[in-house]
Amino acid sequence: MGDFIANLGLGFTTALSLSNLALCFTGCLIGTLVGVLPGIGPIATIAMLLPLTFKLDPTGALIMLAGIYYGAQYGGSTTAILANIPGEATSVVTTLDGHQMARNGRAGIALGIAALGSFFAGTVATMVIAALGVPLTQVALLFGPAEYAALMALGLTFSVVLARGSILKSLAMVFVGLLLSTIGADLETGQARLTLGLESLSDGVKFVVLAMGLFGFAEILRNLAQPESRDMINAPIGKLLPSWSELRQSFPAILRGTGLGAALGILPGNGAVLAPFASYALEKKVAADPTRFGKGAIEGVAGPESANNAGAQTAFIPLLTLGIPPNAVMALMVGAMTIHGIIPGPQVMTKRPDLFWGMIASMWIGNLMLLIINLPLIGLWVRLLKVPYRLMFPAIMLFCCIGVYSVNNSPGDVLMTAAFGLFGFGLFKLGFEPAPLVLAFVLGKLLEEKLRQALVLSRGSFTTFVEKPIAAGLLLIALVVLLVAIAPAVRRGREQAFKE
Amino acid sequence: MVALSAFALWQTAELPVGTLRHFGPGMLPRALVALVGVSGLLIATGGMLRHGEGIGRVSLRGMVFVLGGAVAFGLSVQPLGLVVAGPLVMLIVSAASAEQRWLDSLIFAALLSLFCLALFRFGLSQPIPVAPWLIGY
Repeated sequence: MGDFIANLGLGFTTALSLSNLALCFTGCLIGTLVGVLPGIGPIATIAMLLPLTFKLDPTGALIMLAGIYYGAQYGGSTTAILANIPGEATSVVTTLDGHQMARNGRAGIALGIAALGSFFAGTVATMVIAALGVPLTQVALLFGPAEYAALMALGLTFSVVLARGSILKSLAMVFVGLLLSTIGADLETGQARLTLGLESLSDGVKFVVLAMGLFGFAEILRNLAQPESRDMINAPIGKLLPSWSELRQSFPAILRGTGLGAALGILPGNGAVLAPFASYALEKKVAADPTRFGKGAIEGVAGPESANNAGAQTAFIPLLTLGIPPNAVMALMVGAMTIHGIIPGPQVMTKRPDLFWGMIASMWIGNLMLLIINLPLIGLWVRLLKVPYRLMFPAIMLFCCIGVYSVNNSPGDVLMTAAFGLFGFGLFKLGFEPAPLVLAFVLGKLLEEKLRQALVLSRGSFTTFVEKPIAAGLLLIALVVLLVAIAPAVRRGREQAFKE
Repeated sequence: MVALSAFALWQTAELPVGTLRHFGPGMLPRALVALVGVSGLLIATGGMLRHGEGIGRVSLRGMVFVLGGAVAFGLSVQPLGLVVAGPLVMLIVSAASAEQRWLDSLIFAALLSLFCLALFRFGLSQPIPVAPWLIGY
């Protein structure tokens, strides 16, 4: 306990320095901005802004990037409530009851309860990270290559199961992602593989290029293909602070949402996306009168909003302790850390405690800032929502192009991004989910490395994965999860969960 | 439409198999290609057996202009600099939307390019070429 407080103390002294506070604020503000604007997600934004952080010190850079990430979760709910379009994937559920509340003239209260719930969830999640960080890091130090490989296999399995749409298609995406990650020089011999003889592919496909193509460009194509319908609320927003009885009504929902979100967020393979859906389903189940849902039930906003924020934050746990990114945004964090010469993993906490604890403390500070800046600034966000998309997307394209170009000063990267944009749009048209692909791509190199190391240690025998208890256990879980997901009963339930 | 969707699925199935040409050491890529191929075939047969809903109308206009804009940026940024490439990408991309007002786009493109120039080149000293043909860097 003493350690816990000392560690947090170190964190707060780091995070409260003037420059880090400013960076945290900037990150939160930018994050809210992209969260509010539909059609531009946190992944594209972080990829775009990655070059901006080259000159910052690593702690500051990560604080800002983290701020963008959870700021976007916050901002997404504003769009969902006011315009009935999810600003982010995680705020899809909020449109159901949040927008109905806005139609009933309770927009302000919906926004207020979303912000309060998110703040509460953020606070709890920060504590969870701080509490779990040390023990998990110690566990991670016990992991050998076989265990790491098994853990990554588990993560990929989760990403398949948690993705929308057909499981087979997601599985295919994982394989394609892994395949893409093997492009470039071989890890041990340096021999070029799958480069089609192209010089620019000898270093492999760059993550920013892939992510920007699949999430930035493809997103724009998607938005242009579907003419948007903004169902803007013109009614006044009304008072923001919920009344005492409304607060009491939604507090259990916030509590349950936070718990669900925090637990799902830790799962490798992007559990955070599932959290709001799960929370909504749960609230509907425990409610005395489920028919109120979909008509503006305050619990239907409070629960999912808390869940998505809690999940967004606990997603940092696998990254900070094990060095394994659970989703695409965390993969970009890995990129940012590597650029600054930090290898994510258990050694970060021992070698750079200021960075580790500073980042954790900054999350709580960031959540507080979001609460304070968002409520008064809602008028500004509303006005931003009225900017027509025809002006927005050329600007996004310009920023994307400059962003991709300046990571390596390579014009070829911009061309390759365009190719991935086309590929990503094709995937969308055919109903493939890009998220498992990106995660597999990120984990691919590490997975291959660990797999090979494990096989060298065991002299080429695959039994090493069965003989080591931790590795065997992880693989067993992966197998069970996959089998359960294929089982017909669960499959129906899963489809239903996504439909709601 | 059903045929179109089935055909497109079949295409994605065959595509990764085509890249088999070049693998170097290590069995991982080879194994993965096999896995991709198998899952692709499974999806393709599934797509052909079931009657899909088709992939809907693909708007060529958006695709050509948005991706064309990015390609134009990639080709022009080094020889011509951001002064040309910036507005160029924005104007080409603007053409992707049918309801574009050209005067707006023009003004907006010029202003935003200037802003990016100030931000990235001078604010953050990124080595982006500004206008090599005019001022030499």
